[in-house]
Amino acid sequence: MAVSAKEIREGVHDGFPIFLGYFTTALAFGLLTRTSGFTFVEGVLTSLVTFAGSGQFLMINLYNAGSLLLSIVVSVFFINSRYIFMASSLSQRLADPSSVPGRLMCGFGTVDEVFTVASFKGRKLSYSYMAGLIAVSYIGWTSGTAVGYAAGTFLPDVVQKAAVITVYAMFASLLGSETGRNAKAVLVASVSALLNSILILVAGLSTGLSFLISMATATVFGALIYSDREAGIE
Amino acid sequence: MNKLLMIFLCSAVTLLPRIIPYFASSALSHLPRFIRKCMMLLPVAALGALIFPLALTDFGAMWYAGLAGVASAFIVSLFRGPMILSIIIALVSTTGMLMLFPA
Repeated sequence: MAVSAKEIREGVHDGFPIFLGYFTTALAFGLLTRTSGFTFVEGVLTSLVTFAGSGQFLMINLYNAGSLLLSIVVSVFFINSRYIFMASSLSQRLADPSSVPGRLMCGFGTVDEVFTVASFKGRKLSYSYMAGLIAVSYIGWTSGTAVGYAAGTFLPDVVQKAAVITVYAMFASLLGSETGRNAKAVLVASVSALLNSILILVAGLSTGLSFLISMATATVFGALIYSDREAGIE
Repeated sequence: MNKLLMIFLCSAVTLLPRIIPYFASSALSHLPRFIRKCMMLLPVAALGALIFPLALTDFGAMWYAGLAGVASAFIVSLFRGPMILSIIIALVSTTGMLMLFPA
């Protein structure tokens, strides 16, 4: 696989908006690891070895809720199972599907935003392009975590409290744009939101178990009300 | 709980679903249609439960501050605003509510 400086630069260019989004979101994550009793090394290590937005937040949230290790790992797996399909889809767009290190790198970097940007590129993807795109996103995520952890205590209390909202704002923003594409998205999300709220607040279930039940129920509901085409399978 | 064990196990269940398909993509496309459809819809289904009720309960008595942030982020992106703008406006709304209506 030939290395092309031009392709790397193009990847970095396309990845810049991801860098900004990841950096700000990771600030909140870094701060959250600190308030959850993680050391600086543990917080940054989480981002270095995992590189996943929602999965990492879910891990910390469940950890704080006192969930069992198995329940945390299973929940994180479930929320990440979508990557199986994103990765399968993206693997069909590689210009050179045979390279083992190239595929390992793409697999490591197949996060939601990288997947979206790369998928809409509209041409075969070189490993140089993917390396630029993934590297700039990865740097945004990991450096944001470190800065968020380190700078967290310098922020006034009200800002620290408000920073908690960044996570939920990211999820709400993803839901908003998905609803813009298909209004059924808000229906599916409402089912899991309502069920999760009832199971936790009324039934007193653990956060992890409640999350799994709510997500699974809403997924089946979604699969019933979406057409195959709307769901993106042919 | 051993935090390092948790971090590395979560890393494994995050990275394996991403990496394995690059080495097994032809077999995966033969899963039953309904299962594949469920996988595609799982992120949307997860979002609702990721936001509620924790976005409210994280703020305790000031749950309305969380609601303001989530609602404004949703509306901004519904009208095609970029995610960064959603997050900034949510931060402003939540901070505003916390300062204007302290519990």
